[in-house]
Amino acid sequence: MQLDAAAPRGQLRRRLGAAACALLAAGLPSAARAEATGDWQLDGSLLLYGERDRASVFEPVARISRLFDNGHRLSGEFAYDAISGASPTGALPSGQVQTTTTPSGNTVTIAAGAVPTVLFRDDRYAADLEWQAPLARTARATITGHFSSEKDYLSRGGSASIALDMFQRLLTVTAGAGVNADEVMPVGGTRVGLGDGTQMLATGTNPKDVTSGMLGVTRVITRRWLVGLTGSFESERGYLTEPYKVVSLVDPVTQEVSGQLTEKRPDTRERKSLQVSSVYHLSEDILYLSYRAYRDDWRVESSTGDVRYRFELADGRYLLPHVRYYAQHAASFYVAGLVAGEPLPAYASADYRLGPLRTATLGLTYGFHAGSLPGTVSLRGEYMRQWLANPSGGDGEGGDDARAGGVQLAGTATAAALTSVSGTPPLHIATLLAGYSVNF
Amino acid sequence: MDGTAGHGAGNETLPPAPITLTRGEDFWCGRFRAMGGPCEVLVDTDDRAEAAGLVACAEEEARRVEAKFSRYRAGNILHRIQHAMGAPVEVDEETANVLDYAALTHEMSGGRFDITSGVLRRVWTFDGGDRVPDDAAVHATLALVGWEKATWRRPVLTLSAGMEIDLGGIGKEYAVDRAGALLAARTECSVLVNFGGDLWAPGPRHGDRPWGVGIDDPERTGEAVLDRVELTRGGLATSGDARRFVRWQGKRLGHILDPRTGWPVEGAPRAVTVVAGTCLEAGTLSTLAILEGAGAEEFLRAQGVVYRIHS
Repeated sequence: MQLDAAAPRGQLRRRLGAAACALLAAGLPSAARAEATGDWQLDGSLLLYGERDRASVFEPVARISRLFDNGHRLSGEFAYDAISGASPTGALPSGQVQTTTTPSGNTVTIAAGAVPTVLFRDDRYAADLEWQAPLARTARATITGHFSSEKDYLSRGGSASIALDMFQRLLTVTAGAGVNADEVMPVGGTRVGLGDGTQMLATGTNPKDVTSGMLGVTRVITRRWLVGLTGSFESERGYLTEPYKVVSLVDPVTQEVSGQLTEKRPDTRERKSLQVSSVYHLSEDILYLSYRAYRDDWRVESSTGDVRYRFELADGRYLLPHVRYYAQHAASFYVAGLVAGEPLPAYASADYRLGPLRTATLGLTYGFHAGSLPGTVSLRGEYMRQWLANPSGGDGEGGDDARAGGVQLAGTATAAALTSVSGTPPLHIATLLAGYSVNF
Repeated sequence: MDGTAGHGAGNETLPPAPITLTRGEDFWCGRFRAMGGPCEVLVDTDDRAEAAGLVACAEEEARRVEAKFSRYRAGNILHRIQHAMGAPVEVDEETANVLDYAALTHEMSGGRFDITSGVLRRVWTFDGGDRVPDDAAVHATLALVGWEKATWRRPVLTLSAGMEIDLGGIGKEYAVDRAGALLAARTECSVLVNFGGDLWAPGPRHGDRPWGVGIDDPERTGEAVLDRVELTRGGLATSGDARRFVRWQGKRLGHILDPRTGWPVEGAPRAVTVVAGTCLEAGTLSTLAILEGAGAEEFLRAQGVVYRIHS
């Protein structure tokens, strides 16, 4: 007999018998009804997000889900965001004091050399419902609904997806589709694109419809290694312009900002992305890697690399450092500014989020059990630095960025505008998240 | 464990049948279906109301354990573990105790008793036919087998994605012992708990008599009693099932798989019955005996337990 060769046989039975008794003695006899399967799960979190000298966000989120005996799961998530602070209008900093008009008609004075921003405050309420249903032992369906509302934006959407396990569950295929019917209601009315901000469209409510689809495959490669590939597309139709963003007009002679126009974007956008991810279990720790490639027909192209490593510590604690890098080629109509007096392009936006944006993120999450409290507490801190790549090639990304940096500007004004762009200070962002998760 | 008196791995959603109470010659017998098979509770009393209460209590415990540990119930702790896709899962106290027991048994058996081996059933079909899976399928599945690949740090279990645990080799015996202990705390009468052929009794019946247990012929369940044993105190369990096998190269391979090879144990008896201190211990010893293959009898003799081997 090869069982536990070092031990005499009678000892096997004694140990087994003792272990069986220990198992049965635990919690007898009154515990028959003390069932702690934890059909309910509650996740709560509090997010604090702050951009230095810019916007800050305070967001409490509560998610509650219930797992039913038949395997169905119903989840509801409720979030409230309080966003306040200053958002760049898109106008260039200027050597002179500038005056900007806000949509509500107030005038704001911007100090010389500062990035023009507009102060705002918004409250957003969001509710999401999700229903997961097992269809068979190897298939699951998920249906979601979404609603969110803020003073100038309303979002309603839904999605459905199905996941199939194949080849002894070594392969899972997921396919899904979604629709969103949003409405943009700019405060003070909808301004005509590439206008001086005083001409209004008759429509105060502007529809924006989104349809999306995804197809994903997850494959177990070895017992320790799981890889996934997900492709998705999204088609947007309607009002895609940012209602409060502007584009500066630069005087070709003085190289000073001489005025500004509202921005204007195309009314369709087709987005595609492909993501590869890998989860590798070391003996105890876990390494997560992912890479995402994205492109759309506004010619924004981006790459995102993400690395996380979960260190398992004693007593169920863990430490999870996180590094992420994002690089984007600017949209075809991204400009730093327009030359006053030149013919206007069809579309133009100076929104830095459509520019040659780079974002680097460093984060650390620590998870632990808090004393006798059931469940897990996690604390996450993240630092993000956002900047625009130097359009003159300093970032080495070449063509698109140079175009985006403002080749629309002629002559000496180009140089002035470029200087302004590259002189835009990097944005520093800090995020703190406290989360708590418990089954009951 | 699959007992000779009944098994039924495929019964996913049997509606809870009512309890039927019948009078035996000098005891009351309650019957119901749970854990995929017929269950019986014999109560050594003339008091029908007392017997009914005890049977109901045993039935409730059987359903509780079944709901909690069955791999067929979407939504229970096993379901959560199965669908964690590699994420750690914190389990409750009772599940943790069961996992501790499984971990110890795995260690003592040199890896042969393994609650992660259930995934091998995806590639094996024990229908008496001659289909065996190809080596590639067995190898691919073996990648998902092995308790040593799991990280068990009470109360947190982390399985690699794709791995599963199956408490089929523990759950029914555990339920028998649990129900027995609950009844023993409620009555002075002797009882015999029989969940699908796995049994437990707290002590002798009136007049210091044992319970007589007939062991079914594994080939003809319910038709012929192959053997009889007497059970006074402790547990009795049977592993193996003569109706679930596959033929390969002229050999008959039973359904108990060796998690180290992914293949059925060769030369194993068709079924092994063991009497031990608890039903759980009896069930584990009978499974370990079958995993010994041709060495089953030698193994059982060395343990100093009462046993029956059905070849």
